[in-house]
Amino acid sequence: MSLLDLKLLRDLRALKSQAFAVALVMACGLAMMIMTRSLILSLEDTRDDYYRGHRFAQVFARLKRAPQAVAGQLAAIPGVAAVQTGIALQATLDLPGMDEPATGLILSLPESGELQLNRLYLRAGRMLVGRAPAGQILAGEAFAEANRLRPGSEISAVLYGRRQTFRIAGIVLSPEFVFEAPPGAALPNNKTYGVFWMPYKELATASNLDGAFNNVSLTLAPGVAEEAVIAAVDRVLQPYGGRGAYGRDSHPSHTRVRDEINILQGLSVGFPLVFLSVAAFMTHAVMSRQVTLQREQIAMLKACGFSNRQIGWHYLKFAFVIVFAGIVLGVVGGVALGHRLVDMYHLFFRFPELEFQLARGVLVAAAVVSGLAAVTGVWGAVRHAVHLPPAEAMRPEPPASFRPALIERLGLGRAFTASFRMALRNIERRPARALLTTVALALATGILVVPSSFRDGINHVLDYQWDLIQRQTVFVSLIEPGPVRTLADFRALPGVVLAEPTRGAPVELVAGNYSRRLGLIGLPARATLNRIIGADGRQLILPARGVVLSIKLAEVLHVRPGDMLQIRVLDGKRPVLTVPVAGLSEDFAGTAAFMELDTLNHLLGEGDRISGAYLTVRAGAWREFLRATKEIPRIGNVVIKEAIREGFRRTTAESIGLIQKIYLTFATVVAFGIVYNSARISLSERQRELATLRVVGFTQGEVGAVLIGELVLLTLLAMPFGLLIGSGLSGAILQTVNTEFVRLPLILTPANFAFAVLVVTLASLVSAYLACRRLNRLDLVGVLKARD
Amino acid sequence: MTRAETPKPFAALARPGEPVFQVRGLTKTYGEGEAAVHALEEVDLDCHAGEFVVVLGASGSGKSTLLNLLGGLDSPTHGTLRYRDWDLAGADEAALTQYRRNSVGFVFQFYNLIPSLTARENVALITEIAPDPMSPEEALHLVGLSARLDHFPAQLSGGEQQRVAIARAIAKRPAVLMCDEPTGALDVHTGIVVLEAIEHINRELGTLTLVITHNAVIAEMADRVLTLSDGRIIHERRNARRAAVGSLAW
Repeated sequence: MSLLDLKLLRDLRALKSQAFAVALVMACGLAMMIMTRSLILSLEDTRDDYYRGHRFAQVFARLKRAPQAVAGQLAAIPGVAAVQTGIALQATLDLPGMDEPATGLILSLPESGELQLNRLYLRAGRMLVGRAPAGQILAGEAFAEANRLRPGSEISAVLYGRRQTFRIAGIVLSPEFVFEAPPGAALPNNKTYGVFWMPYKELATASNLDGAFNNVSLTLAPGVAEEAVIAAVDRVLQPYGGRGAYGRDSHPSHTRVRDEINILQGLSVGFPLVFLSVAAFMTHAVMSRQVTLQREQIAMLKACGFSNRQIGWHYLKFAFVIVFAGIVLGVVGGVALGHRLVDMYHLFFRFPELEFQLARGVLVAAAVVSGLAAVTGVWGAVRHAVHLPPAEAMRPEPPASFRPALIERLGLGRAFTASFRMALRNIERRPARALLTTVALALATGILVVPSSFRDGINHVLDYQWDLIQRQTVFVSLIEPGPVRTLADFRALPGVVLAEPTRGAPVELVAGNYSRRLGLIGLPARATLNRIIGADGRQLILPARGVVLSIKLAEVLHVRPGDMLQIRVLDGKRPVLTVPVAGLSEDFAGTAAFMELDTLNHLLGEGDRISGAYLTVRAGAWREFLRATKEIPRIGNVVIKEAIREGFRRTTAESIGLIQKIYLTFATVVAFGIVYNSARISLSERQRELATLRVVGFTQGEVGAVLIGELVLLTLLAMPFGLLIGSGLSGAILQTVNTEFVRLPLILTPANFAFAVLVVTLASLVSAYLACRRLNRLDLVGVLKARD
Repeated sequence: MTRAETPKPFAALARPGEPVFQVRGLTKTYGEGEAAVHALEEVDLDCHAGEFVVVLGASGSGKSTLLNLLGGLDSPTHGTLRYRDWDLAGADEAALTQYRRNSVGFVFQFYNLIPSLTARENVALITEIAPDPMSPEEALHLVGLSARLDHFPAQLSGGEQQRVAIARAIAKRPAVLMCDEPTGALDVHTGIVVLEAIEHINRELGTLTLVITHNAVIAEMADRVLTLSDGRIIHERRNARRAAVGSLAW
């Protein structure tokens, strides 16, 4: 090892706490970058492999009933590569030991051979192929796990009014159900909703669909435009009650995975970049201080014949050691956290195997980015040092020129203590340094705001969705729309206090060139359970004419209240109607359209029918109510609000919660790093001045006040800006994260701000304490002797 | 002077009396116009191998400027400055670096040791980059510090630190030893020890030694004494006999 390297090592040891703080900040940024980019890579690779290996379809459609021969027509559509037809049937499940009814989506397996598309992956047990013995079924993993079902377990289902018991032959996964959630639900509820597969013949017999199909998936030949095929599929299926084909872009499981990747993408850039900028700033601060302190050493080295390049390289190496430490820490942290998150993603994304894959490209990028950050940080200081003529550098730096601070010039000086005036003057003397420190402190405050704003946004959405909008205890849907009198049956169920009807219909909304397919929801004009809330927070009364759209849907369709909109019903008599947009509702998940129930029924022309009801149930009668619903065969789905909320808490909230916690920890570390570093630099710069004060009789406390005064002033100045920066940063990151399907509002609470302020204050106090402790240990005479 | 013409280490070629510096009309001006400070004006000077030259003068007389120019730390505004056959006045930064690396040893008033390196390491720092150095141990032995090789600067007295600085300066066997107020920060007793070390080097190695000081007593130990005032050499005298360092007192 060369002696300059030895010097480097010993200098580093002397600066270890500061170097460590910088490395830690850098590591936080890198860990986040590596964690998120690796997760993206893991998810994308796993998903793509899975889709390819198990032939995930590209276009999907449901219909009422079509004879098998129609499959040939679909296969004949130009551009269609493969067609898989089958039966999809909703059934009520009865699980031993569970009060609430569960719902199952039962899909058919082909009569011979394997599924053409959406092939299953066998996790446990055995596959059902061809004409398997009756009474056997395959269960999706998420449901099986949530209900502790294993191959050999039994499960009862009501199929078309007939209760049957099935034995689970195998536990499977399907690329169609990576995310297993009830239709239309944004959140999974694996305990009460599951997907199953059974042989075609048995399912067809039970559902009177023998020789027919009501569910179709297809893949396209390479390079074929999806829209044309979708339109053709719709034409073919229209006579058979086709409900509108859709591509992967509208596939609930696929979009959910895609959204998650989008969220990660949003998080993988902005936040780490802020951290790395902070690290660059800190490196600069530490290095420029180091170079200033070693001014005479540099001059001596130059006088002795070391070249500018040798000296420059020496100090750059100093920064690179910090960068290297940061990278090592960052990689270790990123990989560990990435593994942790992969485990967690497995909870709600069902892949055969989701393994953590380190994004190696990111490692290189991270090394380059942080290397550049450090070089930028050090460059100015080193350039200044090596360009100083040695003779110049040999002389001590001229004493800084001070003048009375602005406040003193304004005549207010006498109001302040000497310590405070010194702090003020020091800030004014080096405004650039003070500004940079303020910016860093503001960033420290700002990054603390972001993770909490995520948490508050989610809580707001949950409260909004489940307290303000949905005030029912339970939602029950019918397998088929039924007459209005069914509502009376619901009202008669034990414990039901209030029941409000709803009707859903698959429609295509068209406005000019824009269109969107979704379920139009019919509700009573003044619904009290599932309410429609406007952007102003007040309930919207559904008018007798027109539709109310969620704000996001209006955005997608490019319409405003008052504009006309065409509604094409995709079911039954397929009526088409043009209505005005009557209002806009605030909503945070997906898109929605509402219409007054009677108006919708009138439009559909099938008489007064309902497809489900929102109910409030007395708590005391809850068990009885659930038991009773199990006995009504027409009930397709029972969605219990609290169960969904609980499910959300366990899955999505947990995942976002974990990420939020990780970020908050990082932000706290960075905040401490910045503040501590500022205090240390301030101490080393003013060591001599402070020692002089001690020598002439100032107490430790008084001298500490001079040192801390400046930090306190800058911190106070930085905090409001920090909160502002944090708000902006939160907004910007939410913008990148929000999609059509999940939208988090920017919610900034006083608690969030208070927390950020508290952490920075605490960091300042601890740093101040550490700096003062160092100050008290100063060898006064030694400091005064040294010509620093 | 380009890198290709870089002077070889002088000591190997040293012949007492050989001319080392030839200075004519050397001028150094800081700043411009009305604010211009003439640190050195039209100085003529010749120095020879093996000579011990003391430069006296009050603060601001230009003695440090002269030393900086001779040592290749700074470039003159105009005038001729030749080191043996090379033109130092027109040399670029790289050439000056090579000149300092190979031919000049510096001793500063405040020692300028690297605090994180031991005495031996501080010397070795320079021997690592010099073409024909003596060993750090030998250099430290020459200044009487054989027993303090592995001490850090903070563990050494002022005089000891200055002697480490001298060892560092001479370890490369320089042609010229430049000392800027080498005893300025030391008490008399320690100062004497340091001067003895410098004198010892001058005698043993035949190194041209330039000592700048405002302490007139030190002039007694020189071959030649220059007095500077307002950037000019106002007086030059030769001592008939160099006084023994031990006899000096101030």
